[in-house]
Amino acid sequence: MKRRTFLQLGTMTAASAWLAGCQSANEKLIPYLVPPDEGVTPGRAEYYASSCRFCPAGCGILVRVSEGRAKKVEGNPSHPVNRGKLCARGQAILQELYHPDRVQQPLKRSGTRGSGQFTPISWTEALNLLVGHLAPLQREKQSDLLAFMTPLLSGTLAELVTAFMDSFGSPHHLAFDLLAPDWLRVALQRSFGQPILPWYDIAEARYLLSFGADFVEHHLSPVQYGFAFGRMRQGRDTVRGHFTYVGARMSLTGASADRWMPARTGSEGKLALGMARLILAESLYDAGALKANGLTAGKLLAQLDDYDLPRVAALTGLAQETIAEVAREFATTHPALAMAGESVAFQTNGQEAVSAVQLLNVLVGSLNRPGGVYPAGDLLSVPPKKAFTELSPLVERMRDGRIQVALVQGDPVHTIPPATGFQEALAKVPFVVSFSSLMDDTALEADLILPDHTALESWGDVVPLAGPRESVTGLMQPVVTPLLDTRPFPEVLMATAHELGGKMAEAFPYRSYPEMLKDEMKKQIGLAKGMDFEAVWVELLRQGGLFETPKGERGYRWSGGTSLPKPGEPKFAGDEKGFPLHLQVYPSTAFYDGRGAPLPWLQQLPDPVTTVVWGSWVEINPKTATELGIGFGDLVEVVSPLGSLRLPAVIYPGIRPDVVAIPLGQGHRGGGRYAKGRGANPLALVAAKIDGAESQPVWNATRVRVTRISEKGELVTAGNPQGSYRSELIEI
Amino acid sequence: MEKLTSPYRWGMVVDLDRCTGCGACVVACQAENNVAICGKKEIAEGRDMHWLRIERFWVGEYPNVRARFLPVLCQHCHDAPCEPVCPVYASYHNPEGLNGQVYNRCVGTRYCGNNCPYAVRVFNFYGHEWPKPLDNQLSPDITVRPRGVMEKCTFCIQRIRRAREDAGAEGRQIRDGEVQPACAQTCPAEALVFGNLADPASRVARLARSPRRFRLLEHLGTHPSVYYLKGGGREHV
Amino acid sequence: MSEPAHPVTKSATQLNDEMLSSLRTPTWKWYGLALFLGAVVAWGMAAFSYQVYTGMSVTGLDRPVMWGVYIVNFVFWIGLSHSGTMVSAILRLSQANWRRPILRAAETMTVFCVAVGGLFPLIHLGRNWVFFYLIPYPNQRGLWPNFRSALLWDATAILTYIIGSSLFLYLGMLPDLAVARDRARGWRLTLYTVLAMGWRGTAREWVIFQRASTLMAALIIPVAVSVHSIVAWDFAVTVVPGWHSTIFPPYFVIGAIHSGIAAVITLMIIIRKAFHLEEYLTPLHFDNMGKLQLVIALLWSYAYFVEVQTTWYAHEPIEWEVFGFMSHTYTFILLLMLFGNAILPIMALCFRRLRRSIPVMLAIAVLINVGMFIERFLIIVPSLSHKNMPFVWGTYRPSWVELSVTAGAFAGFALMYTLFAKTFPMVAVTDVREHESQRKLVPLGRTRLPSLAGKE
Ligand SMILES: Nc1nc2c(c(=O)[nH]1)N[C@H]1C(S)=C(S)[C@@H](COP(=O)(O)OP(=O)(O)OC[C@H]3O[C@@H](n4cnc5c(=O)[nH]c(N)nc54)[C@H](O)[C@@H]3O)O[C@H]1N2
Ligand SMILES: Nc1nc2c(c(=O)[nH]1)N[C@H]1C(S)=C(S)[C@@H](COP(=O)(O)OP(=O)(O)OC[C@H]3O[C@@H](n4cnc5c(=O)[nH]c(N)nc54)[C@H](O)[C@@H]3O)O[C@H]1N2
Ligand code: SF4
Ligand code: SF4
Ligand code: SF4
Ligand code: SF4
Ligand code: SF4
Repeated sequence: MKRRTFLQLGTMTAASAWLAGCQSANEKLIPYLVPPDEGVTPGRAEYYASSCRFCPAGCGILVRVSEGRAKKVEGNPSHPVNRGKLCARGQAILQELYHPDRVQQPLKRSGTRGSGQFTPISWTEALNLLVGHLAPLQREKQSDLLAFMTPLLSGTLAELVTAFMDSFGSPHHLAFDLLAPDWLRVALQRSFGQPILPWYDIAEARYLLSFGADFVEHHLSPVQYGFAFGRMRQGRDTVRGHFTYVGARMSLTGASADRWMPARTGSEGKLALGMARLILAESLYDAGALKANGLTAGKLLAQLDDYDLPRVAALTGLAQETIAEVAREFATTHPALAMAGESVAFQTNGQEAVSAVQLLNVLVGSLNRPGGVYPAGDLLSVPPKKAFTELSPLVERMRDGRIQVALVQGDPVHTIPPATGFQEALAKVPFVVSFSSLMDDTALEADLILPDHTALESWGDVVPLAGPRESVTGLMQPVVTPLLDTRPFPEVLMATAHELGGKMAEAFPYRSYPEMLKDEMKKQIGLAKGMDFEAVWVELLRQGGLFETPKGERGYRWSGGTSLPKPGEPKFAGDEKGFPLHLQVYPSTAFYDGRGAPLPWLQQLPDPVTTVVWGSWVEINPKTATELGIGFGDLVEVVSPLGSLRLPAVIYPGIRPDVVAIPLGQGHRGGGRYAKGRGANPLALVAAKIDGAESQPVWNATRVRVTRISEKGELVTAGNPQGSYRSELIEI
Repeated sequence: MEKLTSPYRWGMVVDLDRCTGCGACVVACQAENNVAICGKKEIAEGRDMHWLRIERFWVGEYPNVRARFLPVLCQHCHDAPCEPVCPVYASYHNPEGLNGQVYNRCVGTRYCGNNCPYAVRVFNFYGHEWPKPLDNQLSPDITVRPRGVMEKCTFCIQRIRRAREDAGAEGRQIRDGEVQPACAQTCPAEALVFGNLADPASRVARLARSPRRFRLLEHLGTHPSVYYLKGGGREHV
Repeated sequence: MSEPAHPVTKSATQLNDEMLSSLRTPTWKWYGLALFLGAVVAWGMAAFSYQVYTGMSVTGLDRPVMWGVYIVNFVFWIGLSHSGTMVSAILRLSQANWRRPILRAAETMTVFCVAVGGLFPLIHLGRNWVFFYLIPYPNQRGLWPNFRSALLWDATAILTYIIGSSLFLYLGMLPDLAVARDRARGWRLTLYTVLAMGWRGTAREWVIFQRASTLMAALIIPVAVSVHSIVAWDFAVTVVPGWHSTIFPPYFVIGAIHSGIAAVITLMIIIRKAFHLEEYLTPLHFDNMGKLQLVIALLWSYAYFVEVQTTWYAHEPIEWEVFGFMSHTYTFILLLMLFGNAILPIMALCFRRLRRSIPVMLAIAVLINVGMFIERFLIIVPSLSHKNMPFVWGTYRPSWVELSVTAGAFAGFALMYTLFAKTFPMVAVTDVREHESQRKLVPLGRTRLPSLAGKE
C-alpha cells in the first residue's frame, strides 16, 4: 500500500467519523475509462494492516481490500503473536463488518425494556440525551451513581475509560470478561509474587503437561500457541514433543494429546501435588532450580506426605501406574512444561490448584528457560486483577438503586451468569447505554444505543494478552469507510466529555481519537530529536504496530516460600444425590464466550470435536447415556439447583461418566438473525458463589441431573455418527 | 499418471501430527472462495457446501479413547475418477496437475460427485444468496456458482494465477512459498503445506518424501496430489 | 394330447374385422382411461416444472447420494424396453408362430419404454436448460462433449436403439397400414395413405418385406444387448463400491430381458382382455412365454448369486460394508425382490398348469417387474449411501416430486399406448392372416405346435 493512499483513507475515515455521514465506499462508482486513483483499482487488491480484537489475544491481521470493499482477513506475517496465522474467529470478523442486522444509527428505546422497540435518532440528539443524564449527577455531586462496564480493555481504550470515570468522579468501572485470566494473575501472584501473565515456550518444550489449559481453542493466545504446538510436534528434526492432557473432558486441545488423564473434577490440583511428591521422593527434581528458588526438597516433601500415590490415585480416579509414569516422564524429559487452564481454575480450589501446577514447573527447573515458562512482555496492560470480586458489589449497588446511569460496552447480559443477579440488577438501573454495533442481548436491555464502529472500521491499539516476551502494541486502522451512521466508542466518550466540559473536557485534550492514538505511540517510541514522526507513524501502520522491542528481562521466582499450595476438597453447588453429574461449561471453539455466534461462518463451522453445526448440545459419556436411556441427538433436560435447560444430547466418548459438558456461546436473545434464539446458554445453570470460595469464580463447580425428554433434539452434525467410528475403513 | 507439460505440479502436504482440528482453514476457505453460507436445514439435508472439511474419528473406548482429525479437500488426483465421467469436460485436468472445474460448462449430472471417492465435490442443490451487505465480501477473483452446478476445492487457483502473473511480469518462475492457498495460509499449526511437487527442493516435495507419508484411499490408484503425514507417537491408543 | 391353437379358418374380412377391432370408434371407457392417464401425466409434468423452477433441492438427493429414483427409472425403463424388440425379434427368427398376435404390442412397447426411459437422464440434470451441451454440435467455442463418459455412450446407444426399434415397428406395420387404409375414411385415410407408402401387396413387395424384416430382426438384437451393457457401464466403470463389478453388463442384460418378458406377458393378458383376442392368445402361448420366463429367472438368480458371492468371498471392507448396509437397511424390499424375481417364478413356472393360468401368470409377471424396479434401486442407492469416506455417509429418501415424476412416467407410457392402440392396428393383421393361410400343426416334442410351412 502506498503511503498517500493510506493517508487519504485515514483522514477521510477520521473525518467521516466526525461528520457521521451515511455514505460508504460501496456505493461509490468506479470510473471505468479513466483509470481510477490508487486504493481503488479494479482487479487489484490492497492490503491494510490492522489487529483482531475478537479475543484478547490481539493477533495482527492484513485485510485484502478491493474496490473499496473488505474481501478477506489474513494473518499479519510480521506480527510476533500470530506470525501470519489466524483462528476461525479471526477469519470471520469480516462478517461483523458486513452483518445484515447491524445497528444503523443511534437508537432510543420506545417500547418496554427488552421489547426491542427503538426509534432512530440523530447523533446530536443521542449525545444530548446521554449528557442530559450525566450532567445532573455531576451537578448534584452524585457522580458515583455512574457505572461503566466494559470487557478487558487495553492500551488507549483502557486509558480513555479510566480517564472518563476518574474525571467524572465515579470509581465504578468494571472491566469484566467471563474468561479473563484474572484467576491466573492471582495464582501467579501467589506462586511468583508478581501478577504478570506467563508466556509458555511450547515450541521448544519436549514434554507438555496441560491441566485443562485449552490453548488450541481459547486459552490466553490460541493462535500463538497453536503455532507453537505445531513446532513442538514436528518443528525439530529429531525431537517430537510429547503431550499429556489432564481434565475430566477431552477438549479440542486434549484431543491432540498423546495421553489423556481423565482426572475427577476438582482433583487436578491434588494430582499436581501427587506428581510433585513423587518427583521429590524419587529425587527426579532439578536441584539447582530448587536452590535458586529458595526451596529444599526435604521441607517440601514433608508438606506433601498427604499426597502419596495411593491416596492421589483414589482422589483423582486414575491408575497409580499412570500417575507415576507421567510424573517420571515429566521430570526426566527436559525441557518439560506444565500449564493450568480455566476448567481447573473455575473450581472452589482453583487458585491453589493452578499454583500447585506452577510448582511442577519449579521442580523441573522450567522457569525462565527455553521450553519453559517466562513472564510475558505485556507491561502496558495490567487490567484489574479481581474483576470478579468487584462484580458482586457493583451488582449490589445496581440492585438497591445506587446506580442511576450504566454505560455498557460489550454484551455482559449474555456473558455474565444470571446467578450473580447482574441481569435483574441492570434492569433496576434507570438509564442504560449500550455501545453495541449489533442488537445483542445487552442492547435489547438498553435505553440508548450508541452504535460503535466494527473492528475493521476503527482506529485503535491492541496490546496482545499474554503475548510474546517482547512488549507488543498492535495498531488498528479503518480498512473501509464506515458503512453506517455509527461512531467509534472512544470518539463518543471524548465528545461526551467535551460536552460535559470543565474538568472532564480538560481530561481529554485531543480533538480526535486517532490524534490521541498517534500521540500515545509517539510517547511509547520515545522519538529521537529531529525525527519525522509522520513517516514513523505511517511505517508503524504499514507493518501493523510496534513490534521490535527488547525482550523482557524479568523472570519468575518461587515466592511462596515453603508454604505450598493446598487445594482443599472441591465444593459443588447441588447435592450428589439430587444432582449426580458434574457440569462443565467450556468456551466454544467458534464462538469464544458467545461473541462469535452472530457470524454465519462460525455457526456453519462444525464444532471440531462434536461436528455439530448451528446449535448447542450437551456432551454425555456413552455409558452414562445408556444408563439414562439417552440416544445420540435426543432432546434432554439438564437441571441444576439454579435452573434448567433443554438441548440435544451428543454421545461423547471423551468425557468422564460422572461429567456432562455444555459449550458457551449460544442462547442469545438478540445478536441478529443468525444467533437469535439459537441453542441455549449454559450460564443459566451455573452457581455464582459457593461458600468458602467467595473470592473465586466457580463456573465449573455446579452439579446437574439429566433426563431424556424425546428423540426430537433437532441436532445437526456435519459428520455421520456411525461413520465417525469407522476410521479403519480409510486406514488412518 | 499422465504427462504434465508444465514446470509446476501443485500439491499439498497435510501433517496429521500438527493438525489440531481447530477449523481455521475451513472458514478461510469459505471466505476466500465465495463458498455459500448454508443454514441448518441445508446441512441437515446433507447439502453442506464447504470445500474443505475436518473429519473427526473416535478410536477406542473411554478411558482409552482418542479423537483423530483428518482435513479433507479435493485431492487433485492425477488419475481423477471425476474427470472421465463428466460428459461435457466441466471437470478436467490442467497441465499443472490441478483438477479444474468449469462452472459455466457443468450441466449438473452429478456423475462426478458419485465417482469422487473422497466425496469432496459439492453440488448447488440450492441457488445461494448473500443477504446484503454480506455480499460485499464476495471475492471478485472467483465467480459465485449458480444453482445446479458442481463445485469443489480448486487449490485456490485464483492465487496461483495471480502469482504466475506477478512472476511472469518479472520473467521468472513462481518461487517456493510464493503461492499459499487460504487454508494453508491461516493454519496456525502449519499442518498444511502447499507448493510445487515438480521441484524436488520445494518444502512440499521434501515433506512428501517423509517416511510418515501416505495418501488417502491409495489402493484406488487415483494418485492424489495431497500427501498426508501420519500422526506420530500417540502410543496410549 | 393336442388342442387347436387357433379357431377354424375364417374369411379374410372376418379376420380383418376382428383384428382391427381396436380401431373402432372409442367408447366412453376409453375416454375415461385416457383422461385419467392424461391427468397423472399433467401432474408429473407440473412436478418436473416445479423442480426446474426451484432446483434439485426439491429432490431427496444429497451428498453422497447424488443419484436416486430418476436414474432408477432410467435403468428400469430401458430394461423394460428389451421386451418387445428382443422377444419379437427372437421369436421372428425362430419362426415361432404363436408370436404373431403379440408382435405389434411388444414392438410398440419397446419404442415407448425407450422414449420414457430416455427422458430421465435429462430430467435429473441440475441445469436441464443446457442439456444441449451434451450434444456434439459444432459451436464457435469449439466445445465438444466428452466421449470418455459413459453418459455419452448411453446417449449414443439409446439414440440408435430408439431409431432402430421404431423402424422395426414401422416396417412390421407397413402391410397392416395398407389394410387399414383400404377400410379407412377421413383423416385416418390420409394418415394411413401417407404411412402405407403405397403398399399394394404385390408378390415382389412381399419378398422384399420378408427379407427386410428378417434382417431388422437380426440387427436389432445386438443393439438391444449393447444398450443395456452400456447402461450397466454407467455403474461398472466407476470406482463406487458395489458398482465397480465386471458382471454388471451381462447381469443387466439378463435383468432387462427378465423384466421385458414379464412386461410382454402382462401386455398379452391386457390386450387379450381389451380386444377380446382369447381365440388368438391361448393358454398355449402363455405356456411358452412361461417357459422362456423360467429360463431367464434361473439365469438372473445365477447372476445375482455370483455377484453377491464374489463380494462376500473377497470381503473387501468397504464393499462388504455397503452390502451389510443394504441388507440391513432395506431388508424388506430386498426380500420382496428376491421373492418376486427368483423364488416365485422359479417355483411356479415349473408347473404347466400354473403357466397356463392367466391370473397366476399376471401375478408373477407384475411381481417380477416390481422386483426389477427394487433391484435397480438397491444397486444405485445403498452403494452411494456408504461410499468410501465413512464421515460423509448419508441416506436418501425420494421426495414427492421424484415420486410424482415417476408416476407421470408410468402414466405417460400407458397413455401413449392407449392412443396408439386407437390409431394403429394393435394386432399384426397380415402376419396372422399369412399364418392362417399356411397353417398346419407339426409335432414338436409331446405337443403339436402350429408353424409355417416354410417357403422352400
Ligand atoms: N476465467 C475467465 N477468463 C477469461 C474469460 C472468462 O469468461 N473467464 N473471458 C475472456 C474474455 S472473453 C475476455 S474479453 C478477457 C477480458 O480480460 P481482460 O482484458 O483482462 O479484461 P478485465 O479483466 O475485465 O480488465 C483488464 C484490466 O483493465 C483494467 N481497466 C479497467 N478500465 C480501464 C481503463 O480505462 N484503462 C486501463 N488502462 N485499464 C482499465 C481493469 O482494472 C482490469 O484490471 O478475459 C478472457 N479470460
Ligand atoms: N459483468 C461483466 N459483463 C461482461 C464482461 C465482464 O467482464 N463483466 N465482459 C464482456 C465480454 S468481453 C464478453 S466476451 C462477454 C462474454 O459474455 P458471455 O458470452 O455471456 O460469456 P460467459 O458468460 O462466460 O458464457 C456465456 C454462456 O455460455 C454458456 N456455455 C458454456 N458452454 C457452452 C456450450 O458448449 N454451448 C453453449 N451454447 N453455451 C455454453 C455458459 O453457460 C454461459 O452462460 O461478456 C461481456 N459482459
Ligand atoms: S485468537 Fe483471538 S485475536 Fe487471534 S485471531 Fe483468533 S480471535 Fe482474533
Ligand atoms: S487450520 Fe490447520 S490445524 Fe486447524 S484444522 Fe485446519 S489444518 Fe488442522
Ligand atoms: S478428489 Fe475427487 S474431485 Fe478431486 S480430483 Fe480426485 S476425484 Fe476429482
Ligand atoms: S456435474 Fe457437472 S462436472 Fe460433474 S459430471 Fe456432471 S457436468 Fe460434469
Ligand atoms: S486450497 Fe483453497 S480451495 Fe482448496 S481447500 Fe484450501 S482454501 Fe479451499
